[in-house]
Amino acid sequence: MNDIFRELEEVTVEQYDHYDLPKWLADPVLVVARNPDAYRGKEYLIEILVAQVREYDVYAEAGCCKWAYDHEDIKRTLRWLEE
Amino acid sequence: MAIYLDCNATTPAEPSVASVVMRFLEKDFGNAASPIHDYGVFALAAVEHARGQVAEVVRARRDEVIFTSGATESNNLAILGLAEAGIQSGRRHLITTAIEHKAVLEPFEEMSRLGFEVQILPVKTDGRFDPERLADALRHDTLLVSTMQVNNESGVLQPLAEVAEIVANHDIWWHVDAAQGFGKELEQLRHPRIDLISISGHKIYGPKGVGALIARKHDRQLPPLRPLMLGGGQEQGLRPGTLPVHLIAGLGEAAKLAVRNNGERAEKCRAFREQALAALSALGAVQNGTEEYTLPHVLNVSLPGINSEQAIKALKNVIAVSSTSACTSHTHTPSHVLAAMGLAPEKVEQSIRLSWCHMTPAVYWNEVETILRALRG
Repeated sequence: MNDIFRELEEVTVEQYDHYDLPKWLADPVLVVARNPDAYRGKEYLIEILVAQVREYDVYAEAGCCKWAYDHEDIKRTLRWLEE
Repeated sequence: MAIYLDCNATTPAEPSVASVVMRFLEKDFGNAASPIHDYGVFALAAVEHARGQVAEVVRARRDEVIFTSGATESNNLAILGLAEAGIQSGRRHLITTAIEHKAVLEPFEEMSRLGFEVQILPVKTDGRFDPERLADALRHDTLLVSTMQVNNESGVLQPLAEVAEIVANHDIWWHVDAAQGFGKELEQLRHPRIDLISISGHKIYGPKGVGALIARKHDRQLPPLRPLMLGGGQEQGLRPGTLPVHLIAGLGEAAKLAVRNNGERAEKCRAFREQALAALSALGAVQNGTEEYTLPHVLNVSLPGINSEQAIKALKNVIAVSSTSACTSHTHTPSHVLAAMGLAPEKVEQSIRLSWCHMTPAVYWNEVETILRALRG
């Protein structure tokens, strides 16, 4: 079960260190990644979050089609995790 | 209850797949095309997540996955959907193989009716088509080549790597019906030269009624497909209709597990295979299709002196098997696949297909042997 949380931490650190994920977004994601017990039973949402962080793109909404995830997607998933 | 050995017809659903499907039926039932509230937004998020999970299996991009009702529809869309492009470009030559599923052969018949010239390649006795025959068949006006990845009756893996080399510098569309191999034999389908891939959910422990056509983009453009149905514009205009979010989410979960558990599943299937081969060899069974290229979960054999229909009936309380593909078994027509492989009609009448999975429990092979020996008298 903790594998998916470990994956979330790794991908978030990677995106923050080497790509465009901003600190204000990385921080709350890392809080989730480092507290698996608090989010037990919500692994499906964690999987979605992993994909959204991995495919994060500041300009996801630019252009005709949206084929990446932006900060709104990640913020929304974080909100669902708290519901 | 007999032990189910017909996994090429359909597989049982993984428990986590069933759980995801129920979640989107009961609780999160929003319409992905109505992202104006959280119900719709979450449904859309689930669809896009599943799209990524399916794409990952073949290393495609998320926007290259078009959800359909299954591989039959995907095959139809890939083949008939190219008709207009062929007519407009004047390329009216199509190539496929003699062992394709009816869901490929019948759309090709329809293309023939529309004025296309269809060339059907023969197969060898080992169950594989000859790539050299394909190389010889290619013409300047060839529009489409359609070759399956794994045959549904024999379980034999087809020479796709060789095809990729042959078509590498040809301006043709290449479609692969991967209903039986997607999520099982991973490497082949990751070849970027394959333009179109048809898949089904219910062959990989996912739900029935959902599948996808994976259409690789070139220069950000999808292949020039036209939709077969109109009304809604979903799936990039290629497949209208309200998305079945529960089925799509289930397919995504199945795709995820197919990658994650690939090695472990194959290992379990190989162990089962050894027992099945030992039991059937003792009865003098002759394998149809070469063992070297047969996937570990399928075994097609002819049993000398035993009629397959009688065998299936006699075994029905012990194991559930079939004599041909599920789509033709109800019509009791002889297998066109085994006939194309050169089997004598008598051997075709004696053939049964056993197909299992990582969830299949142990079989009492002694009991199977006893029943079959009694049939032989």
